[in-house]
Amino acid sequence: MSGASAVSGVVQVVGGVALAPLLPGLIQHWKARLQGRRGPTPLQPYRDLRRLWGKSMVDPEGAGPVYRLAPVVVAAALAGGVLVVPVAQAVPNLGLGHDALVLLGLLALARFAITCASWDVSNGFSLMGASRDLMLSVFVEATFVLALAVAVLIADTTDLRGVVAGTAGAGVWGSPALALGALAFAIVAIAETGRQPVDNPDTHLELTMIHEGPLLEYAGRDLAYLQWAAAARHWLVLVLAAQVFVPHPHGVWPQLAVLPLALIALCTALAIVETLLAKMRMLLVPRLLAVGLAAALFGIAAWIAGVA
Amino acid sequence: MIGLLLGAGSSAIALGGALSVSRRTFSAGLWLQATGAAGVSIAGFWVLGSQAVFGDPFTSSFVPRLGVDGLSGLFLGVLGLIAAPALVFSVRYLRPSPNGRAVAALTALFVLALVLVLCARDPLTFLSGWESMTLVPAVLILVSRGADRRARKTVFTYLAVTHLGGAGTWVAILLLAHAGAIGGHTTIASGSGLQTAIALSALVGMGTKAGVMPLHVWLPRAHPIAPAPVSALMSGVMIKVAIYAMVRALIEWDGVLPVWFGVLVLAVGALSALGGVVYALFEHDLKRLLALHSIENIGIIVLGIGASVVLRARGADTWAAFALAAALLHCVNHAIFKALLFLGAGAFERAVGSLEIDRLGGLLRRMPWSGGAFLVGAMAIAGLPPLNGFASEWLTLQALIHVPRYGHIGDGIAGAFALAALAATAALAVFCFVKVVGLVLLGAPRTSAVAGAEDPPLPLRAALVVLALACVALGFAPGVLFGPLVGLAPGSSRIATHLGLHVPGTGSLPTVGIAVALVGLAAAFALLRGNRRAAPAPTWASGQLVEPALNWTSAGFTKSLRLVLEFVLRPEREISSKTEGGVLQEVAYSGSVPHLVEDRLYRPVERWGFRAALHARRLQSGSIGTYVVYLIGLVIVLLLAVRLGVIG
Repeated sequence: MSGASAVSGVVQVVGGVALAPLLPGLIQHWKARLQGRRGPTPLQPYRDLRRLWGKSMVDPEGAGPVYRLAPVVVAAALAGGVLVVPVAQAVPNLGLGHDALVLLGLLALARFAITCASWDVSNGFSLMGASRDLMLSVFVEATFVLALAVAVLIADTTDLRGVVAGTAGAGVWGSPALALGALAFAIVAIAETGRQPVDNPDTHLELTMIHEGPLLEYAGRDLAYLQWAAAARHWLVLVLAAQVFVPHPHGVWPQLAVLPLALIALCTALAIVETLLAKMRMLLVPRLLAVGLAAALFGIAAWIAGVA
Repeated sequence: MIGLLLGAGSSAIALGGALSVSRRTFSAGLWLQATGAAGVSIAGFWVLGSQAVFGDPFTSSFVPRLGVDGLSGLFLGVLGLIAAPALVFSVRYLRPSPNGRAVAALTALFVLALVLVLCARDPLTFLSGWESMTLVPAVLILVSRGADRRARKTVFTYLAVTHLGGAGTWVAILLLAHAGAIGGHTTIASGSGLQTAIALSALVGMGTKAGVMPLHVWLPRAHPIAPAPVSALMSGVMIKVAIYAMVRALIEWDGVLPVWFGVLVLAVGALSALGGVVYALFEHDLKRLLALHSIENIGIIVLGIGASVVLRARGADTWAAFALAAALLHCVNHAIFKALLFLGAGAFERAVGSLEIDRLGGLLRRMPWSGGAFLVGAMAIAGLPPLNGFASEWLTLQALIHVPRYGHIGDGIAGAFALAALAATAALAVFCFVKVVGLVLLGAPRTSAVAGAEDPPLPLRAALVVLALACVALGFAPGVLFGPLVGLAPGSSRIATHLGLHVPGTGSLPTVGIAVALVGLAAAFALLRGNRRAAPAPTWASGQLVEPALNWTSAGFTKSLRLVLEFVLRPEREISSKTEGGVLQEVAYSGSVPHLVEDRLYRPVERWGFRAALHARRLQSGSIGTYVVYLIGLVIVLLLAVRLGVIG
């Protein structure tokens, strides 16, 4: 293993575990600034996690082992995702490989586990959020796969390390394929991280919750895991965006050097989007995702036209 | 050796069937059948592993011939793997009443018919096995239900649809036999009219039997009303045998098919996958839901076959072999988890008496063995890592993502659409099975019968646990099958066997690493969480008292999707309220999601069919004089035709 590869492995694990909460923190911070408020510091998610870690948990009446296991399974699935998504084109294999499609399976596992927990406590508000999340996931997953397919076709492999290498440099931006894939992925990123206009992460009104809904009954360390998982979801999606769908240089060291800048830029972009756009009516979100789907299809068509 | 094992296994099934007719030897007969099925399974997988040909080779002439090769071996292995637990399950599930004994004996006949189709090496044996495979379950359903009205109606639909559509199988097989192409002795020219005729009739005929949309209407009716072990065999194995026939006819014997046909297969697969899961999602009866979900999985399998056809037409033989292996691997996986889920549903029905999913709940705690096994099956069918459903879906996605690579816009976009459809299907399957798990296994029991449910006796539990373990094992090491499966495609050789899925030239699925990492990480997080201090609290319902009336139902949980898909699904809803003296007294709500294919396609056809039948009936006057006139007329027409040189 080369030094570059070892370092990027460390960045991947430490970044995914420890720096992930910084991303939603940054978005909240920028958003507050853009709205003319002082807002919390970017470190607020860490404070929340520390506070939650010290608190006791809550078992709603009738909750069984499924409810108690769900936060652990969600955290494990997202941690697995952190090991899968590479921060640069050469990272050591941490046992799970680096396949793009595995990531989708892990996200689905997390969704399944948390929805089972909602059923276990039979909380109507949790189930409402879960049901909405699953409904959106149908469209998100289709768009996600097609957006990835654009990059996969360009790189000619589904191994994400190969995809990062294959989409590096300025040459791939000569054809509109990757740009269209990036547009599709931008919409996926908003939906998958649960940000406006798809979902409102600031809402604490049960009736409007989507991603927050199934978390309703949890407290203490359970909730800490789930909030970390939400942050890790930001990390996965934004790292993938930065190293595939945003122009990035060749080579491990330049990629590692540019990654923080790209992540900050993407967080700022999400904050701007959140400030400019109000939450959409939920039933209209599939149309937004259909736009992404169409963009990705055009991206694939553009790639085929470029090859033929 | 293999022949001996297969013969002994089949004889054991036949003898067991005969024994189970008598009340005294009923359970001994079923145990013997199960042993025979296990023997068939071992022989089948053995043949697959050795990739050798045993017995006679294929022939296009009409002389009975029997033999096995790798592909037959795979499906024989699956048949035994499903039949053995299903028969063990039957030992205590079926009662030794006259009906139960007849069902046990007919089950043996059913399994033997399936063995016959898989071992047939000539058109005659194949078609007779094919017809018995259709007829025996029809008799089984009638016998098990005491030929009540619903059963008669269902069996009529089943036979009508499978025979009308099934005619395609006859056409395809007879055309292949006529061309001498069975067994691939003559190559059918690519792009010829004969090739197109064979391909289309095979797709219709075998597709009907496999339950692809829009030829599926018999499936959600016939599968649920059979006894649970028979449903498991029908959904788990019978429709896979139709896939076996499709692979033989389309991939092995019909030459290199044109691209447009591959695109057609992809479209049929995508429609079946999406349609099957969407209608399953809005279903309230557990067994009917599972039957509809079989259509989805057949769709995924057909997507793999379609990708294989397109890739082969583009000259990518290696990837065509991977796509076919994906389809075959999904056949194996679906057989296992669908049999598990049907048997699990049987166990629930036995304990509770109803399978209305809004009236179950909390069964995981009351029936930990059956409930736990059912949970594993549900996670596997939802395609979640690290179980087996994920492995074959991953492989199918890989195959589809490869279709656009060859730089042709038409099939490339078709591949992209199929890819999006499969991803959406996977998400819908999660939605569907999280609903099933939630309503059936989790939460509080919804009725008093459910509250008193208990795990079934040992044979039933053992059957479920064995199948659940098979889901875990194949999720852990799908590569053990993948290597030999790749070798089954025409013109490809097997690849090195790994535990995980290693597809040369692209990403890989290290299933062992993923399983170990997920379990290890979950254990680590659980340990880190430490001793769980938890305060009890009522469930939050905005301060309201939590009552059973607040329970969520299947319709409520799926409402968001129903609203979004309203423009396609056209759900029906009716709300009526009763007001008395300006005060609302009563609100009644009813809603349903009609099956569009049935309403828009089959109903009109059925109406015209009956109308035409009424007219045709006038010919049948009953007077012998008229019939003599018909005969004389026919003779004159034939003579004229000969004279004019039209025939003869």
